[in-house]
Amino acid sequence: MRLPEFTRSTTFRWTLAVSGAFILCILLMFGFILAEAYRNLTADVDALISEVANSIASREPEQRILGLDYYLRADPLRVKLGGLFAADGRRIAGNIETLPASLRVDASAQLVSLVKMNDGVREQLAVRAVARGLPEGGTLVIGRSDYEFTWIAHIVERALAVGLIPALGLSLAVGVFLSLRAQRRIEEVNSKIQRIVAGELRERLPERGTDDPFDKLAALVNGMLGEIEVLVRRLAGVGDDIAHDLRTPLTRVRVSLERARQKAGNLDELRTSVDQALVGLDQSLAIITALLRISEIEHSRRMDCFRNVALGDLVREVGDLYEPIAEDKNVDFAVRAEADTTVHGDRDLLFEAIANLVDNAVKFTPQGGRVELSLLRKGNEAVVRVCDTGPGIPADESELVTRRFYRSDKSRSDPGLGLGLSLVSAIAKLHGFSLKISGGPGCVAELAGLSAAA
Amino acid sequence: MMLETVTALTGAPASLDQGEVHTSQTEPQAGSDERTLMSRVLLIEDDAETAREIMAELVDRGFEVDWAATGIEGLDKARTGEADVMIVDRLLPGVDGLTIIEAARQERVSKPVLVLSALGAVDDRIRGLRAGGDDYLTKPFAIQELIARIEALLRRPSENRDTVLRVGPLELDLLSRTAKRGERTIDLLPREFRLLEYMMRRKDQMLTRAMLFEEVWNYKFVPRSNLVDVHMGRLRRKVDAPNEEPMIHSIRREGFVLRAPA
Repeated sequence: MRLPEFTRSTTFRWTLAVSGAFILCILLMFGFILAEAYRNLTADVDALISEVANSIASREPEQRILGLDYYLRADPLRVKLGGLFAADGRRIAGNIETLPASLRVDASAQLVSLVKMNDGVREQLAVRAVARGLPEGGTLVIGRSDYEFTWIAHIVERALAVGLIPALGLSLAVGVFLSLRAQRRIEEVNSKIQRIVAGELRERLPERGTDDPFDKLAALVNGMLGEIEVLVRRLAGVGDDIAHDLRTPLTRVRVSLERARQKAGNLDELRTSVDQALVGLDQSLAIITALLRISEIEHSRRMDCFRNVALGDLVREVGDLYEPIAEDKNVDFAVRAEADTTVHGDRDLLFEAIANLVDNAVKFTPQGGRVELSLLRKGNEAVVRVCDTGPGIPADESELVTRRFYRSDKSRSDPGLGLGLSLVSAIAKLHGFSLKISGGPGCVAELAGLSAAA
Repeated sequence: MMLETVTALTGAPASLDQGEVHTSQTEPQAGSDERTLMSRVLLIEDDAETAREIMAELVDRGFEVDWAATGIEGLDKARTGEADVMIVDRLLPGVDGLTIIEAARQERVSKPVLVLSALGAVDDRIRGLRAGGDDYLTKPFAIQELIARIEALLRRPSENRDTVLRVGPLELDLLSRTAKRGERTIDLLPREFRLLEYMMRRKDQMLTRAMLFEEVWNYKFVPRSNLVDVHMGRLRRKVDAPNEEPMIHSIRREGFVLRAPA
């Protein structure tokens, strides 16, 4: 037979175990009470019948029959037993049919089984009894049935029936209820989780505000789900950004090719349009290449190509590379690399990172502005700092700018891939360097890493 | 699809499935000369589409192309064939193209190799290869970039010990670090001197921006598009005076060539 689901739950099993233990305790308690009652009652009865037996046995022979009759007659509860037997075992008086064989004469009271004669009705009983040997031969037996004890036992029996069975039922019911509730909750959570797994990231586990462990767990899981949702949306956002940034040049390609197909009258016109299309395609390819490169650097764990790199030379070379660009744009460009330090890293990647920082600075600094590239030492750290007098980055955006495709709203219209700083950030991460972008009047970017031992 | 469109417009032959294609009738374009006209290229590339595009363009430029679709076939052809230069895709079915090159090198096949690779800028082995004098190109690439690099590999400058380089009226003294065009002394900054030296060693060759950046600045990354142009513009203003016949020519969308005046 298959038991219902809830019977397999831990809650239900614990309920059963606790109920069992509870019932056992009650039984033990009642058992103790019964045993004590029996002991006390027996002692009383034994004392009573011994006294009666002694009293009757000590009388004159003819007085004994009278005394026994008298004793037996005053018996409203019909619990008294007595018998006077001749030496040959013949019954002389009393309501006991025969002298019980197991009854020891002149001993203390004991439990014997005998037959009570009551107006011709024979009744087999187990009673406490004592026997006294008489001087002229014969035996006197006085007994008493344990009526009170039977009565108490009966009460206990009824009490158990009235108390214990409903208690057992109740505890079973509570167990079933608790396990069903837990099961329902798990099913609820399960169905929500199924939906979340299926992509419904906005779903949350039910919280009842009851502050029980289950609720606390649900709150924790919900917090985690919130984080995951944000991350997933951010990733999806990157996807959207990529799509958007690729669509713009590709649309231009399409337009120029379409126009060429319809309007181009001669080969030169066709070439012009194709050239335009190629520019758009190159732009798209550049975006893809940059993205691949960033993820390649981000996933690169190879440190074996790291060498000691003299940052001073690197900074001067970047300066050399960008000086004419700045000059063309009429931006004052200063390079200071007096402090010569060495770091452990990849020369090409570090060059690229610094070049990107300078590129950005020159790009965002208006005519007549100033860009400063400097190499500093701070304690045992080498710091490459690029300052400019451009529009700067608002404080709340300084974290965002290293994100892929992030472009400050102000610079949305400027050309660029929006990938430069995320590339720098990836390179910094690979080297274990820190990248700090902060706004001032302009923008300050700092790439800092531990100096290598000389 | 996009590559296909471009090739179709330049009038490449439509079907090029067979392994070997002979010199087409298209006239040689910028940078080609008698020597490269007859050069043979061994292309080891498993993707038929890419192989077709590369072959079409190479044939247009006057190369003979031998195509191998697998690494084993490529290795065979490298051993026995008479190719002057090899193009090896890194991602071949079941084998890294670099392994093929190593195997070929062990058998003393010394022809220059251009490696095509999807990634690998941070890869040590690629750097090792480059250090050995060969070249690599990261996909996706422009076909002109590939052609320019193949031509550069084929026409490595001779190891002459001359201390003075000459191209037409242009004269570069490597010892005194001075430059002259005819009687006119040209005042060059160190980086301009390096740039001009490289161009004079590779006169008449198409030099792409990426090549110049790699060779003259010695850094391997894709710079902002106009970075090299700005430097080249300065050099050109110094080399080609307004009244002189220009020697530095920019080829639209491709790169630069240094040529002696006609």
